[in-house]
Amino acid sequence: MRILPLARAHLGTMAVLAVLTLSACLLVAGLPRLVQGSFDAALRESLRGAGASQVDLTVRVATNSREDDLIERAQFDSRDAEYRALLPGPLRPLVVPAGASTGHASAKTYDTPVRGSGGMTFVNLAWLSDTDRRVRWIDGRAPGSPSTMAYEKATIPVFEVGIVDEARAKMGLRLGDVEIIGESHPAAVKIVGVFAATDPADRYWSHHGDVLHVTETQPPGKLDPERRTTALISDSGLAVLSGADRNLRYGWVLPVDPEGFTSLGTSEVATAITVFDRGVALRSASVLSQTWLETYLPELLTVFVAAMATARTVMFLVLGGLLMVALGVIVLAVHLLADRMDHPLALARARGGSLRQVAGAGTALVTLAVAPAALAGYALSFLVPGPVTWIVHAGPALVVVTAAGFAAARLALTHRAPLHERRDDVVSTRPSARRITLEVLVVVLALAGAYLLRSRGLTAQGAGDDPFLLFVPIALTVAAALITIRCYPYPLRLFVRLAARRRPAVPFLGLTRASRARSGSVLPVLILLPALGVSVFASVISGGIADTQRLASWQNAGAPIRLTSAVELPAEAVERVRRVPGVELVVPAQTAQVQLGYGGERADAIAVDLDGWRQVLAGAPISVPAMPDAPSGVTALVSPELRGRGTMDVGWLKRTKVTEGGVISSAPGFFSGKPFLVLPFEVNERPSVNALLIKGDADPAAVLKASGSPRATVATQAGELAAIEGGPLTTTVRNVLLITTIALAAYALVAVIVTLVIGAAERARALSFLRTLGLSDRQAQRLTVLEVLPMILITAVVGLALGLGLPAALGPSVDLSSYAGGVAVGDFDLDLVTPAFLAAGLAFAAVLGAYVHTAISRRRALGATLRVGELT
Amino acid sequence: MNPTLSELEAQASVERAAFGGDAHIVCDNLVRIYKTEGVEVVALQGLDLLIQRGELVAIVGASGSGKSTLLNVLSGLDVPTAGVAKVAGMDLLAMTAKDRLRYRREVVGFIWQQTARNLLPYLTARENVELPMKLAGKARRGRALELLDLLGVGHSAGHGPAELSGGEQQRVAIAVALANSPQLILADEPTGELDSETSAQVFDALRKANRELGVTVVIVTHDPLVSEQVDRTIGIRDGRTSSETLRREDAEGRVVAQEYAVLDRVGRLQLPRDFTNALEMERRVRLELESDHIGVWPAREEPSSEQ
Repeated sequence: MRILPLARAHLGTMAVLAVLTLSACLLVAGLPRLVQGSFDAALRESLRGAGASQVDLTVRVATNSREDDLIERAQFDSRDAEYRALLPGPLRPLVVPAGASTGHASAKTYDTPVRGSGGMTFVNLAWLSDTDRRVRWIDGRAPGSPSTMAYEKATIPVFEVGIVDEARAKMGLRLGDVEIIGESHPAAVKIVGVFAATDPADRYWSHHGDVLHVTETQPPGKLDPERRTTALISDSGLAVLSGADRNLRYGWVLPVDPEGFTSLGTSEVATAITVFDRGVALRSASVLSQTWLETYLPELLTVFVAAMATARTVMFLVLGGLLMVALGVIVLAVHLLADRMDHPLALARARGGSLRQVAGAGTALVTLAVAPAALAGYALSFLVPGPVTWIVHAGPALVVVTAAGFAAARLALTHRAPLHERRDDVVSTRPSARRITLEVLVVVLALAGAYLLRSRGLTAQGAGDDPFLLFVPIALTVAAALITIRCYPYPLRLFVRLAARRRPAVPFLGLTRASRARSGSVLPVLILLPALGVSVFASVISGGIADTQRLASWQNAGAPIRLTSAVELPAEAVERVRRVPGVELVVPAQTAQVQLGYGGERADAIAVDLDGWRQVLAGAPISVPAMPDAPSGVTALVSPELRGRGTMDVGWLKRTKVTEGGVISSAPGFFSGKPFLVLPFEVNERPSVNALLIKGDADPAAVLKASGSPRATVATQAGELAAIEGGPLTTTVRNVLLITTIALAAYALVAVIVTLVIGAAERARALSFLRTLGLSDRQAQRLTVLEVLPMILITAVVGLALGLGLPAALGPSVDLSSYAGGVAVGDFDLDLVTPAFLAAGLAFAAVLGAYVHTAISRRRALGATLRVGELT
Repeated sequence: MNPTLSELEAQASVERAAFGGDAHIVCDNLVRIYKTEGVEVVALQGLDLLIQRGELVAIVGASGSGKSTLLNVLSGLDVPTAGVAKVAGMDLLAMTAKDRLRYRREVVGFIWQQTARNLLPYLTARENVELPMKLAGKARRGRALELLDLLGVGHSAGHGPAELSGGEQQRVAIAVALANSPQLILADEPTGELDSETSAQVFDALRKANRELGVTVVIVTHDPLVSEQVDRTIGIRDGRTSSETLRREDAEGRVVAQEYAVLDRVGRLQLPRDFTNALEMERRVRLELESDHIGVWPAREEPSSEQ
């Protein structure tokens, strides 16, 4: 059969089909890219924030004998190349080439004591392959070659070293000092230079924090802290630095580029790291030296994957719903096109067209509309930023296959027998027992699945998507659709009975037509229901995220404006802040680490007027409890960790007996998740204010300036909220949910209109017939609306219930905390406004469509309509 | 004399001539039942019909009498429930889907009542005629134009159906039906939507196809203009053939129509309703065999003799 004339005759319908396909393919291919892109961005951000020493792969070699010593730079370089050659395939593109980024080699001693310090001072020696790049000498000169000196009747090596500026200040080391290090194999270090990092903020320094800073630790039972520094030696110093003499470790840092990571490749990378670890361990040069891999990358990836898992599932759930609805609408449009082609194809079939010719022509026509549009949508999706996943290819292919497959199947079924006249309008087909059993099975499975999911939660922590979580909502949607389709005529028949007793004919006729369950009404229900369900679900989730983000911002800030200072704020400063325009209320607070009892146990404490704080938090989603009245002495609210201790002895500025007055889970803006106390502001006789809780919309910069404290910082709730909302993940998720909701609403509308158009000829005939019996135009309009409305209203109500019920049904399995600044989005407030608007908008659009439809069909002449498709 | 066993055997092995012999269309006790859930409609209730090759036959009957069902069965669009239906020796009940397709492509052509339904609106007249040939895979150059010329619509070969009058559309439809040189043309009220003048043109076209191409033509019609001009008119009532009207020219050239009732193979006869009503015949009648006819009388009330 010739396709082109057929195509020309059905240009309008084909255009509709093409537009639907284009939009579906763009959404189905584009949105996963957007989501995946934001997952990748989030992964990269979390890796960037983690510090180079955690992310980078560091190969360590501990040497114990002179044979294993590396004495010149070239040996390090060849080892570096050797280790790089061991890198498994998936790691290679992630590891930056030698010499770039944080990549370098090092030799470092550890626990190298200074003789005569009583084990309280340690000067470790370090050689860094890129010293010249990383540090500049601010005093003295760079260390040179080692020499020797006599010490306790022996000749010992003298290392020329450079120390960090901080060591000069904190450890009393001076230029020109010579210190003897090591107990069993002493050596001398001569301080010849003082260095500072060229860029102390570089990620590089997370590998060598000990080089840049003096480490102070408080050993138990000692008054003074133990201090350690690491001094730098020159290349030639390596020759005399031996693992036989002291604790020596070599390290090769293979820097990993966070930008190279994708959230999909995490498990592959984790496996590759294990492989690399084994390979490196097998390379140990001898039994005396040990080689191992140091990295926290697998742990970081595991934490990330766990945080993403449910969030990902929810995103794909929403996108899956979108795909389902898009496919449904496309199938509906194909249905329309197939109906329109019915006459030519039936005629061709009757005139001797084989089934293959007829169905083939129809399918080719559908493919002609769908394939170029799908290709265009697929191409357009490449404008969307983000990685290309298999869904990007599979989505559009699925759309084309579904459309063409449905067309082929439907046409083959319709034209299987060539007879044009079919009497399927006479009696509605009664469902078979087999079908009812199947439907009951689906409903039971869906309910059982939801129950199991609720009682089980997610097992696959961090192991990727939970298929069960994907299955249950789909099953619930299908179950709801089945129940709706099966049951919606029954309540209608009740109304029909009521309407039959009343005088007006239109409600009776309209409801009777509506309650006739025809096969044509199944598809729209199957589309409208998930469309509304998913969009309501999306709006509930997105509302939940928004609320929780606000909550998290308040939790983080603790007040509209919070000013904290490292040093005490004098009373004048507080007064100045109070006078800043826009400041309504200032509540001063004191924070410190206090001693609990007389041992080493410490806890954070905040002393604040809780009533004042409550005023500051008026109108916020969080609050603080009131301080309970104390029977005697000082009462405190304690964190859950300190619960049940009764009376405590707290050492702040002075020792105070404190009685536990209640438990508080967090002090917003200050402490949570570790031991802390909330004390009355008057706990110290002379308050030392170092934090201000400010209410009002003052300019944070002005507040900071007014405080006059050089070491003060200001945090605002608005700023915190902006920070949470500005994360790559959060923005994308909210955008995707918004786009999905809009797309679903549009699809639902298209579904209603296409349904109306599909039934147009039949309805026009029925209306024309009724008009010959005296039906007025206005009545005809009301009749059409009444016919369409019940199905839409019932579907809208069920879809609304489904969308509102899904978060509850999935309940604890859905953890969106990664989108909400770490606070769990658990308690979904049922904000009925948006979903109700969605449902009402849909119903309104449908009614409008029905009115427009009757208005158009009214223009047709009665005789012409009655003869359209008249049965002989 | 009783026949011997061997004689009986010989008698059994001799093929008896089938009903209808070598007639072009044979329907024997044809039954078609439409079943939808709960409702059963018996459209054909044991219909017998014989039509010879090259005949021009009209089928008349009230609406719902089964005319269109019969036509659908004969055109291979519908499958009868029981009985025998043969066209050109092909058994319509035993055909496979492939045979049926070949049958529709090569043996039969048909025309529906609605002029718009016969033609594809977006193809020209010539393209419409070429369509069945293309579907059958044997397009012949020039054949479409020949057919259109033959039926007097050659001038509108390049026009779409919307530009043609109803009569022209139906004549193009006849050309479409003739496209693959079928042996049989079935027309379902081809003049149902036309005025009398146009009807005459369409009927002429059908007769031309019958006479010049030797095609058997079966027309279902209400139109007396058609039914009174064919050689044989078959009446159908309640799914059975009830009457036949034969027209012959007498010696003076006048057409004489003679209506017959149909006697089926088991001897059943349908009496015209007008006759039975006029004599109030109900439930039973009395028959009497005379030397050259059978007399039918209303049953007389004779309670004494009956009891």
